[in-house]
Amino acid sequence: MEYPEIDAYASMDSPIHRFDPRAKIVSFTLLIFSFVFVNEIRIALLGFLFSFLILLISRLPLAFALKRIRMVFFFLFPLLLVMPLTVEGREVLNITGISVSFDGLIFASLIIIRALAAVTLALIMLATTRFDITIKALYALKVPGTLVQMLMFTYRYIFVITDEFSRMWESMECKGFRLKANYHGLSIFGNILGMIIIKSYDRTRRVYESMVAKGYSGKPNTLVHLHMSTKDYVLSTCMVGIAIFVHVYQLMFTV
Amino acid sequence: MIGAVEAIRVKGLSYSYSDGTKALEDIDLTINEGEKVVVVGPNGAGKTTFFLHLNGTIKNPGGDVWVFGKKISDLKIEERIHQVGVVFQDPDDQLFMPTVFDDVAFGPVNMGLDEKEVEMRVHKALSKVGLEDFEEKVPHNLSYGQKKRVALAAVLSMEPRVLVLDEPTANLDPKSRADFINLIIDLNEIDGITTIIAMHDVNALPALADRVYVLNKRVVAEGSPREIFSDWSLLKENSLEAPDVFKLFKVLNCFGYSSDDLPLSFDEAVEILTRTIEGTEGHIHLHIHEHTHKEISDVMNSYNHHRNGKE
Ligand SMILES: Nc1ncnc2c1ncn2[C@@H]1O[C@H](COP(=O)(O)OP(=O)(O)OP(=O)(O)O)[C@@H](O)[C@H]1O
Ligand SMILES: [Mg+2]
Repeated sequence: MEYPEIDAYASMDSPIHRFDPRAKIVSFTLLIFSFVFVNEIRIALLGFLFSFLILLISRLPLAFALKRIRMVFFFLFPLLLVMPLTVEGREVLNITGISVSFDGLIFASLIIIRALAAVTLALIMLATTRFDITIKALYALKVPGTLVQMLMFTYRYIFVITDEFSRMWESMECKGFRLKANYHGLSIFGNILGMIIIKSYDRTRRVYESMVAKGYSGKPNTLVHLHMSTKDYVLSTCMVGIAIFVHVYQLMFTV
Repeated sequence: MIGAVEAIRVKGLSYSYSDGTKALEDIDLTINEGEKVVVVGPNGAGKTTFFLHLNGTIKNPGGDVWVFGKKISDLKIEERIHQVGVVFQDPDDQLFMPTVFDDVAFGPVNMGLDEKEVEMRVHKALSKVGLEDFEEKVPHNLSYGQKKRVALAAVLSMEPRVLVLDEPTANLDPKSRADFINLIIDLNEIDGITTIIAMHDVNALPALADRVYVLNKRVVAEGSPREIFSDWSLLKENSLEAPDVFKLFKVLNCFGYSSDDLPLSFDEAVEILTRTIEGTEGHIHLHIHEHTHKEISDVMNSYNHHRNGKE
């Protein structure tokens, strides 16, 4: 079974991997917000190039990163086709009465470039830290406990549930079941999903019982050992600086 | 035992699940400190349900459970988990934290221990179960046997005085099974932890039991492993089995081999055989009489209830 492992390359070594996870989360989040709110296409492009540069520095295998970034691109690609037709603006082409607008084209590109920059950054952030450490960093950053616990359990049990699903699927295939898009196939598929939900519900109860057996009383309980060094401060200051600079620059540019 | 300390005392415990399933009826039992007790019973007999009462996970106003003389409902959480630790059947249910370290540290952190102490206990518990370098591992990358051992470590780190294990040997390979059994025996004999175990694995039972309770909604019988395994009708009525060696020696008895003690384990069998053969000048005598066949088929029928349906 292939797991959806985002942190498969977390044990590599690079300046980004060595970046303190708390500082990483804060600076990357700021950068993401900063890039997403840019509304000048040239600056957005610079932001994207910057994200890509960080991707190179992080030494994550490009195939691994591109596979995920590509999905976002395919998801947003239709905008490039739709927006030039729907957004009012300077006309570049007129195909038999349908006008293709330049502004629509620019606007669609802006959205896509911003999204790609944000996704690249988010990917680097998550892929260069082991997920359990990301969770601990969130906890250390005083993100609300319920939220952290939800993330934690999702991460822990997504694998158990994937295994459960694939075991059920295999046993159905062994009994000759082939998924077809007809009434029978879909209703069986629905049954499986239902079973997964019931099993998960049962499991939730047992997990809760075993948590109570270990004295759980509602607080997430872990020990967090993270230490910021000078280089973490320098690196995060640079990144926050870039996040702010982008907007200052944009103000000067547009005024 | 004289002067023994009562570790667990249960009186008149009954329990029904919310859907009406009657799981336990009027359970009475006492387990002393330092004892090794095994609870046997068919599937659905209520063993797991009973264990959930021992650490207060199921809150049951209708039954009384005392732990070292205190009512379990009166204990504070930290106290309760320090007295009784339960290792459940499925390790995936018990390893819910992102890493092995966090899982083993979970109990101690809840007990309010300081960081140094928590870390020390995690190291100690993991080395007890033979997984020293596993702290940073993620549970989903462990094998089933390793998960089982981490689950045990996660309970040992709370340093409980009573250790309750639900089917510890199920699904383990022979080596892991033997290791796990020896580990439990060591915990009992060296660390003085009282162990209460539910298991279907009768061949491993004698090593883990000073005393056996047969549970089938109610306590059906209580006694030493030898007493329980000698009671044919008891075993049959409760869908239980005797160890293979024990049954084999029963058959040998029909062939005229005479020994007072029937062995419960392989090692014991070797020992007894050696002793008898030495005592009878170097050989034993087996024979077949007319009534032998009848006796053997009686023995077979009394134990092999899984074949009865076909006969
Ligand atoms: N959450 C639940 N809700 C309703 N009924 C339950 C629940 N859990 C167990 N039962 C029922 O209670 C009875 C006792 O179950 P329990 O799990 O305690 O048996 P067990 O002796 O541990 O069995 P096994 O050897 O199969 O593990 C069974 O009839 C079972 O169906
Ligand atoms: Mg059970």
